[in-house]
Amino acid sequence: MTNPPPIQPPPYQPPAGSPVPDGAGPGSPQEVPPTPGEHPIDPATLPEAIQDELLAPDPPVLDTSSPELQDGLNRCPNCGSTDVELRPATGMLVCLFCRTEWSSERVEEAYGLGGDLSELRGTVVASGAQDIDTGADTLITMKCGACGAEVVINTENQVGARCHWCRHTLTLAEQVPNGAVPDAVLPFRITKQDAIGRIRQFVDKRRLFALKRFKEEFTPENVVGVYLPYMVVDGNVGAEVFGVGEIETRRYTRGSDENKKTYYDADVYQVRRQVDFTVDDLTIESSAERANLDTKVNTNNIINTILPFDTKNAVKWNASYLTGYTSEKRDQDVAALQPTLEHQLLSIARAEVAGSVRRYDRGVRWEQERLDVHGTRWVAMHLPVWLYSYYEVRGGRGLVHYIAVNARTGETMGSVPVQQWKLLVAALTVGTVLEAVAIAALVVLS
Amino acid sequence: MIELLTHSVILAADTFEGDGGLWLLALGPAGAVGLYWMLYRFYRNTDKSHAYERETLVEAQPVTGDDRKVDEVRGVSNSSISGNNVNRFRDRVRRLPPSRTDG
Repeated sequence: MTNPPPIQPPPYQPPAGSPVPDGAGPGSPQEVPPTPGEHPIDPATLPEAIQDELLAPDPPVLDTSSPELQDGLNRCPNCGSTDVELRPATGMLVCLFCRTEWSSERVEEAYGLGGDLSELRGTVVASGAQDIDTGADTLITMKCGACGAEVVINTENQVGARCHWCRHTLTLAEQVPNGAVPDAVLPFRITKQDAIGRIRQFVDKRRLFALKRFKEEFTPENVVGVYLPYMVVDGNVGAEVFGVGEIETRRYTRGSDENKKTYYDADVYQVRRQVDFTVDDLTIESSAERANLDTKVNTNNIINTILPFDTKNAVKWNASYLTGYTSEKRDQDVAALQPTLEHQLLSIARAEVAGSVRRYDRGVRWEQERLDVHGTRWVAMHLPVWLYSYYEVRGGRGLVHYIAVNARTGETMGSVPVQQWKLLVAALTVGTVLEAVAIAALVVLS
Repeated sequence: MIELLTHSVILAADTFEGDGGLWLLALGPAGAVGLYWMLYRFYRNTDKSHAYERETLVEAQPVTGDDRKVDEVRGVSNSSISGNNVNRFRDRVRRLPPSRTDG
């Protein structure tokens, strides 16, 4: 007796009248997603250019988060208290209970930011410098690690708060994507008294023509310590410039005694220069408002002038360094700052090649330039500034004059409002005296 | 002081006697404007910014390049090449596309 053939199920027929809904089906988000790195076609069978793109690693990210502070409690390593603040004299954190002092690790060593920059390739962005999520809330709710209460921090102007139940100090350590938490912070070193002295000295040298009201209201004790947001960039680049240079070959005068004029002969050269270089810790404002250096409407150039900082001494982010100071949030991403970086790199390149064209004694007219960026590394930092400001209203328009002190190096720069009429009187007086002298000289000569 | 100034001005006028010394009349207005701007800048510091060209740590390889004589000019009255920007590092000129794409 022969066995009957096995029963085969009928082929699957999708029910009639139920087409696949729009947006569903293979390759849609409704399907089970493929595992990361899985491709429907073996990349090895594809052309090399496509293969390279498919198999390229994800953009490198420097992880600078501090998992040990994720519960929001920055505890004293000796007694566990969270009442911690910066002691500018030593640049270290001090526990307000047991006076123990300690410091965060320097980012230079912690994240290996030293090393040979000529090996830098691609764009490396540290985790605190990642793109800002415009939808990210500025109000962050933190769960107190000590009692479990929920505490709200407004990251627009603060990165810490005290738990209203157990009185522990909570600080923001999580790198929320709203630009409030950078990778590193450079603690204040110049004390407030020192800053006051420097500001007073700066203004004392500029009293004669200073605005009367400014002098009357000058109270440097109102100086504010503020951490401003910057991107600190390392770069490995090459630049090439093309232009025309001239070397003087002869100089002579023509014309009669009354109408003598000097003329020049010169050789004209086509000039090309190329230079490869690395830059270490180029510092760029990462707040759009601060980066606007239009002196007609603001005095931000004053704050720009006190750069650079000793960014090599920046330490891992710890919000306790900000206790007692104010801070501003970063609002610019790496992409938005790229043109500024390229402008600065090209300027540096032009400065680097200037020494090699000195023989062109009639100068060089650079006409074209090229920048090859081989690699950049971006680290977001909060840098310390003592800021004194004075609001001047003139002609219905207001202008904030800053006097800024670099709270690391002590470099001081400022804008002192002037008493216009006094300045004009002085200029006219000197002009009149010079004119009288000129007329006297003409009379003597004639 | 004024005597000394007058003496200096006469000496200068002697040196540049070409146009009969009439240029001396510009001394007053030029001095007034010059002083105004000098003092204004000293107080307001509107011309200051971070000198990143010289204040940044830069490690450069030796500069390379080439120079090719293409022309000669005769009897020009300008003491320097027109559009001289050799020291105006921040003036951008026409940008060429990158030669490599490894950035």
